[in-house]
Amino acid sequence: MKISLNWLNDYINLKDISLEDILDKLTYAGLEVEEVEDQAKNYANMIVGFVVEAKKHPNADKLSLCKVSDGKEEFNVVCGAPNVATGQKVVFAKVGSIIPNGKFKLEKAKIRGEVSFGMLCSERELNISDNHDGIMVLNPSLKEGTPIAEALEMNDVVLEIAITPNRADALSHIGIARDLSALFNLPLKYPEIKLNESGKKSNELASVDIVDAENCPRYVGKVVTNVAIKESPDWLKKKIKSIGSRPINNVVDVTNFILHEVGQPLHAFDLDKLNGKKIIVRSAGNDTKFTTLDSKERNLQSKDLMICDAKRAVAIAGVMGGENSEVTESTKNILIESAFFNPSSVRKTAKNLGLSTDASYRFERGTDPNITLWAVKRAAQLIQETAGGEISFGEIDEYPKPIIKRSTKLRFSRLDQILGYHIENREVENILLSLGFEINDNSKDELNVNIPSYRHDVEREIDLIEEVARIYGYNKIPEVSKISVTLEEKVDHSAFDDKVRVVLNSLGFYEIITNSLLSEESANRFGKPIHVMNPQSSEMSHLRPSLLPGMLTTISNNLKVNEKDLQLFEIGKVFEQLSETKIKSFDDFKENEQLLLIATGNFLRTEWFEKDRAFDIHDMKGLVSSFLNNLLPGVTIADNYSENDFAFLDYAFEIVANGKNLGNCGKLKKEICSLFDINQDVFLFQTNLNEIKQIPIPKKAFKDLLKFPKVYRDCAFVLDSNIRSDEVSEVIKENGSNLLHNVKLFDIFQSESLGSGKKSLAYQLEYYDPSKTLTEEEIEKVFSKTVKSVEQKFNAQLRGA
Amino acid sequence: MINKIDETRKSFDEDLSKVDSFASLEELRIKYLSRKGLVSQLFESLKDVSKEDKPKVGQSLNQLKIHTQSKFDEMKETFENNENKSESFVDLSLPGRIRPIGSKHILTQTLDEIKNIFKGLGFSVYEGPELESDYNNFEALNFAPDHPARDMQDTFFVTEDFLLRTHTSPVQVRLMTEKKPPLRAIMPGKVFRNEAISAKSYCLFHQVEGLYVDTDVTFAELKGTLVAFAKQFYGQDVQYRFRASFFPFTEPSAEMDVWWQPKGKEGRWLEVLGCGMVDPNVLKNVGIDPEKYVGYAFGMGVERTAMLKYGIGDIRILFDNDKRFLTQF
Repeated sequence: MKISLNWLNDYINLKDISLEDILDKLTYAGLEVEEVEDQAKNYANMIVGFVVEAKKHPNADKLSLCKVSDGKEEFNVVCGAPNVATGQKVVFAKVGSIIPNGKFKLEKAKIRGEVSFGMLCSERELNISDNHDGIMVLNPSLKEGTPIAEALEMNDVVLEIAITPNRADALSHIGIARDLSALFNLPLKYPEIKLNESGKKSNELASVDIVDAENCPRYVGKVVTNVAIKESPDWLKKKIKSIGSRPINNVVDVTNFILHEVGQPLHAFDLDKLNGKKIIVRSAGNDTKFTTLDSKERNLQSKDLMICDAKRAVAIAGVMGGENSEVTESTKNILIESAFFNPSSVRKTAKNLGLSTDASYRFERGTDPNITLWAVKRAAQLIQETAGGEISFGEIDEYPKPIIKRSTKLRFSRLDQILGYHIENREVENILLSLGFEINDNSKDELNVNIPSYRHDVEREIDLIEEVARIYGYNKIPEVSKISVTLEEKVDHSAFDDKVRVVLNSLGFYEIITNSLLSEESANRFGKPIHVMNPQSSEMSHLRPSLLPGMLTTISNNLKVNEKDLQLFEIGKVFEQLSETKIKSFDDFKENEQLLLIATGNFLRTEWFEKDRAFDIHDMKGLVSSFLNNLLPGVTIADNYSENDFAFLDYAFEIVANGKNLGNCGKLKKEICSLFDINQDVFLFQTNLNEIKQIPIPKKAFKDLLKFPKVYRDCAFVLDSNIRSDEVSEVIKENGSNLLHNVKLFDIFQSESLGSGKKSLAYQLEYYDPSKTLTEEEIEKVFSKTVKSVEQKFNAQLRGA
Repeated sequence: MINKIDETRKSFDEDLSKVDSFASLEELRIKYLSRKGLVSQLFESLKDVSKEDKPKVGQSLNQLKIHTQSKFDEMKETFENNENKSESFVDLSLPGRIRPIGSKHILTQTLDEIKNIFKGLGFSVYEGPELESDYNNFEALNFAPDHPARDMQDTFFVTEDFLLRTHTSPVQVRLMTEKKPPLRAIMPGKVFRNEAISAKSYCLFHQVEGLYVDTDVTFAELKGTLVAFAKQFYGQDVQYRFRASFFPFTEPSAEMDVWWQPKGKEGRWLEVLGCGMVDPNVLKNVGIDPEKYVGYAFGMGVERTAMLKYGIGDIRILFDNDKRFLTQF
């Protein structure tokens, strides 16, 4: 919201306060000043100059050579304007000033051999008008040396203030002045109203009937007759322009002025266009279309509150007037509307229409029901001042639902308790009084406070505490320098995920974070997604059912910038709709925390010690088991090689712990890769972290170190190449006796010399007995039994035997 | 026989003196000390020696064996020592055999830093769901239906009653409903805002919310705690200020700014977090007596904090996950 400092000075005298002070105090009090436009800065180094002498330039016919005084010194200035003359008061832009039109900086210059120390300006050069016929000649009574901003009254400072939604009362100049009056302890003065009423009474010229009192508790109207619609006077145009609005005509500008003066939106109807000279406030009902004064046809909903005449709707209540009843150049008689509408009704209507106006913005935050009368009188007076005409006697004031006066109490002890700091009782009272609160009862323990009708945000004791603290100044409340910590149990929900990240980092994986919103197509491919009712775009219309699309997009984007070797993971929530019907409770959907890790490209780029090698499924398997073994120490993790169809994966297997499937590991199918323009193998592991978190980690206990030597025996078998290595090691373990503690596959070999369809698997067997040293005979006995069982089971042959 | 032994000894000593490499040392070993070497051959021929000479010859043969073996070992050791020092050149400038180590996303790293500070101040860490009920996200937090305060947070709705949480504050509601005070926790997580994606805003971001409810919590303590945080996070000499603001779930409400001074540019105040005293209505909604208990709450955006700290100008790069970006942190 734009606030003009010159305008503020109509209600509070800020002359003796620095701009910095004003900005700081407003900002600290919750009226955050976001921008400051200081008009005077545009005219820096420009002053009223006196032309001591103007004569022809010796070397140029169309130029003059002038001596210009700033009251202290005289300057040589070359001027090209035809109207420059000795004795004039002119706009003298000194060296160093920046000319507003064109934004160029003036330097000392030699023009046709004569030095010029500045420039005399035209209106166009100052951005005042388009006039560039000659220089601006000023009022002779102006004193030379006066800054131009002051001389031309272009010294306003306009603030852009962010008003939080609770502070409806601050959406006007008087509203801001009220806070300033509390902050600086200065008096606030409302403009005086003096009405010159004549002719008939307002309620003889028009009538108001409120049908929907719930949504329109108060409607005030006043008639002004025989007005002349024309351009507004300068003072009014200047005010309207200063807050960034465009002047329209005197009547419209007055209503706009009062909205920004006191926050009460007004509307002026052309009374002669109101059928039956009657206003009826009712819901739209069967009306479905309405053309607003910006000539746009609007679609109405039956509950929208409308202002109607005897036959038809003439305005959308609190939002915008209608084209059919607006004030035009030919308007003679007007009805001024000054109403209080139910904030939530205006909000709903404005939302339905997708239309936010200065009026609706204020009504939906809550206007002051008691300012309506004042505002309508002020409007009548200003209309008469600017448009002439006669102000009818009195007002129409329909007030079927009087707003009840509210009050609450403030305990000083509670104020101390909340703030942890004591503010003197007298100071507390002063702050509240200066904001317009009334204290109707005070004791040494508490205050009983009447709340002004413009403070919809204040209801309770805590609201008063905030008012006191805000005006007193948060920065004046000292912060504590020590705190006490309770010794209750500490919880860290994020600890497990943190461990996941650390382990994966140590295995070379980088963490990524991707968008949780996907296109419908992308989301549907990977699950049963939940869609968003009001998405930003169709690209982000569904909640992700899987981390895969985000990951694959990431891979794809990295490939485009030639980053091909990737080890990535993401931890994130995925969403799945469970019920066919609309989500009504938390049981209708599932939100799981998923982990997805991928490896793609080269495991190793060529180095001096090794040739490059692409990631393969065995790398991925190794990374995943390192990860899981580290994450879940002591938990037995097994692989399950079933013939199941894995939706997106080739060469896939399940990873199982405690009989539960933890997730699938495998190679992404080519057709999925190609959807994302990925032309290299992607290996992945996907798991549900919610489930992994549930797996109990066995308590660690120290085991005695082995006191007797381990003995190793190697053996290699030639067997059919389609036999799985784990089946062989399983048989070795089963037949290895309790002396065998470890079986390690250490070589795979395939060659014609073994016979076609054959391979050789070499295992190292580790034997020991924790209670004694094993003898050669003992080992030989179990080893040969093991070898035999493998030979029999797989029709294998021990190599070298 | 004795002569033969002496000759062998002499020729060994001679050969030994000529050894100048591992290769010639190996030749020496093969010639004298291998299974079929000269020394072994002499032992072989011992069986042909007469019974009475045997002890003498045997003794002298043993001495030869000890002599040759020990001289050989000595020489071998010398060679090995030399080799370690200078015989072969080790190029230490070759790059080491590196195994890559990944990293946490910069947002996680920033969050870790924030978390660690607050954990040190006695806060627990709680998490909650991202798909929330309107009640937990708005109503319980004192956002009246149809109030313009709801416009402060553009919301993605899934149905009329379910939405993507717009802040982590619903975790407050869950925590206070489930547990009794004293409660001191931070609540990090992902939140969503229905805003067009640009350099300045993304449809989601991460927030850390803090909550402390007990019988003696004050605004002065809220300030003290946040100042302690700011000093640890931004540096002990950080300049800060508190100004009044509005959040439906706190009252009084404040925002904390820190002075930001980029090198060679004009400094300015930057809003880094919102905070306030938990509104009594919120406490009532979760069944805590607001006359007995007081609370404070605060919240900050992780993206904003990370972007400030690392000088990142465009929020979108955080979610692009370009490897060239990821490997910088």
